[in-house]
Amino acid sequence: MTGYLLRRTGQSAVVLAGVSVIVFALVHLVPGDPVRLALGTRFDQATYDALLARSGLDQPLVQQFFGWAGRALTGDLGVSFRSGDPVTLLILERLPATVTLAFASLLVALLIAVPLGTVSALRPRTVVDRAATVFSQFGISVPDFWMGIVLILVFAGTLGWLPTGGYVPLGEDPLGWLQRLIMPAVVTGVVSGSVITRFVRSSVLEALGSDHVRTAEAKGLPRRQVLTWHVLRNALLPLVTVTGVQLAYLLSGVVVVEIVFAWPGLGQLALQSVQARDYPVLQGAILLFALVFLVINLLVDLLYTAIDPRIRR
Amino acid sequence: MTAPLLEVDDLCVRLRTPRGPAAVVNGLSYTVGEGETVAVVGESGSGKSVSVLALLGLLPTRSATVTGRALLRGEDLLTLPDDRLRRIRGAGVGMVFQDPMTSLNPVLTVGRQLVEGIRAHADVPRPAARDRAAELLGEVGLPDPRRALDRYPHELSGGMRQRVMIAIALSNSPSLLIADEATTALDVTVQAQILELVERLQRDHGTGVVWITHDLGVVAGIADRVLVMYGGRCVEDGTADDVLERPAHPYTRGLLGALPDLALDRDDGELATVPGTPPPPTDLPEGCVFWPRCPVRGDPRCETEQPPLAPVLRGGHGHDRREPPHRAATWCGEDEAPARGSGAAAAGRAP
Repeated sequence: MTGYLLRRTGQSAVVLAGVSVIVFALVHLVPGDPVRLALGTRFDQATYDALLARSGLDQPLVQQFFGWAGRALTGDLGVSFRSGDPVTLLILERLPATVTLAFASLLVALLIAVPLGTVSALRPRTVVDRAATVFSQFGISVPDFWMGIVLILVFAGTLGWLPTGGYVPLGEDPLGWLQRLIMPAVVTGVVSGSVITRFVRSSVLEALGSDHVRTAEAKGLPRRQVLTWHVLRNALLPLVTVTGVQLAYLLSGVVVVEIVFAWPGLGQLALQSVQARDYPVLQGAILLFALVFLVINLLVDLLYTAIDPRIRR
Repeated sequence: MTAPLLEVDDLCVRLRTPRGPAAVVNGLSYTVGEGETVAVVGESGSGKSVSVLALLGLLPTRSATVTGRALLRGEDLLTLPDDRLRRIRGAGVGMVFQDPMTSLNPVLTVGRQLVEGIRAHADVPRPAARDRAAELLGEVGLPDPRRALDRYPHELSGGMRQRVMIAIALSNSPSLLIADEATTALDVTVQAQILELVERLQRDHGTGVVWITHDLGVVAGIADRVLVMYGGRCVEDGTADDVLERPAHPYTRGLLGALPDLALDRDDGELATVPGTPPPPTDLPEGCVFWPRCPVRGDPRCETEQPPLAPVLRGGHGHDRREPPHRAATWCGEDEAPARGSGAAAAGRAP
């Protein structure tokens, strides 16, 4: 088990190194000169050269990469071209908002997907099942910004129950925190939940049809016990996979929803840094997203071994 | 004669399928006495498995319609409320299924799967149920039963898994054990061990056994009585000796003729087969179900009228008065009977 953990962590480190090369290369291949953008329209060559030298952009790319990667290992992701703040600090500022929204959305998604997927698998081709299918098709195909705007119009505009957007930390104003969290969490939760519902339905259906469920029924177990321990327990594996993917996606910042609800998360930060050619921030954000994916995948793999003894080695 | 343990009367199962309604079991009747082994024999698709799954309500309720009667110790399984039927599953009737690779839950330990079965029917604390589970595993011949409790199914061989399945089926001392192709997926030596095990357990506990198989070798080894199914009907039944030694139905004769004979050298070296395939249950022939494949077809009624299951006439002796009678559903037997005389058994072996 420890060996497996070490091996998987090692693999993740290699992937992360590869990702950092790609991220660095891509960001620097994007057309546009960050120094020019930072200086505005009127500047002289001396100022330009000075800024270029200060940000290290006059050095060869390979040297720039190793400098950046080396510092990144120590947690120093450089300094924002735009604001001059350390990138690590900028990311840490945005992190709570993103993490809050991600987990709230995931909660909404699972609260929708698990019951809905299970019920529609238990009653296939009935009204409930068809309603669930329509719902998840709706959730998958309707654009999230549109759903966001409609919610704002209804609940913030017409009804006036909720603020249109923004974010306050939980510690400062718990009620305000919750009020502002509901709508973005529902929008992203419905989208993720729709995807997960389909997975839950098919994996529960598959589990229901398996021979060992018939054995469990033939043993005379109560229906509820058959469902929990022989159907849902076995349908858990695909659910964990898709939930992991959804969580990683949510943690990487849901850009459009963050913008619609003025939610100060990592998605917004990444978008702003693209617009400003703020290389260090963009690199830092993408590296973090990659790290999130790797860590979550590692956790999912570890969960697998806990759920399914056949995978243990 | 005392009342039989299980009495199935005119069991019919209709399944809704994408290709239309399927008449999978058509008026099946049989009895199983206490401690008796009845083998149900037939090809794939003859309705063997469905007929027993129907007894315990294990068919999908939405697509299956089950009619008839199935009395277990006088209680009709087909009309019982769900909760009462659940209590009979496992406790009154134990089941062993074909594929031990998939019939156990791969993510739960063997011990857990035994314990939950025990505790579903008896109010015993978990440690006591575990003790009982270990005892059962020992009884079915698992080495080191205590440790086996904490094993997962994939850590056991196929034969060991089937022993676990048998332990589960027997955990509540059912009066009836249904084995649905329980040795089909196992290799021959393991198969023999499992058969021996079931016979021993049956002797010790007086359990009635319904053994579903397409393997006539297995039948010869264990069955007191044999019921041959074709197209969802019983086409022949009787004692194992009667059916295997003096088969009356052309289909049974065909099945027996298709057995490879190791002792005798066949001249042509080819295995005899029953030509054709069983009729699809969505489209059964009007007359005798076996008619389209029948090598005899001597009677004009074959094509139009379903032959009833009637006692086999034995040359010179008239109806056989023994219990249970040897019966077959065929038109050809009657006409042939006078001429057949004591050569009935020989007639079964097609040249």
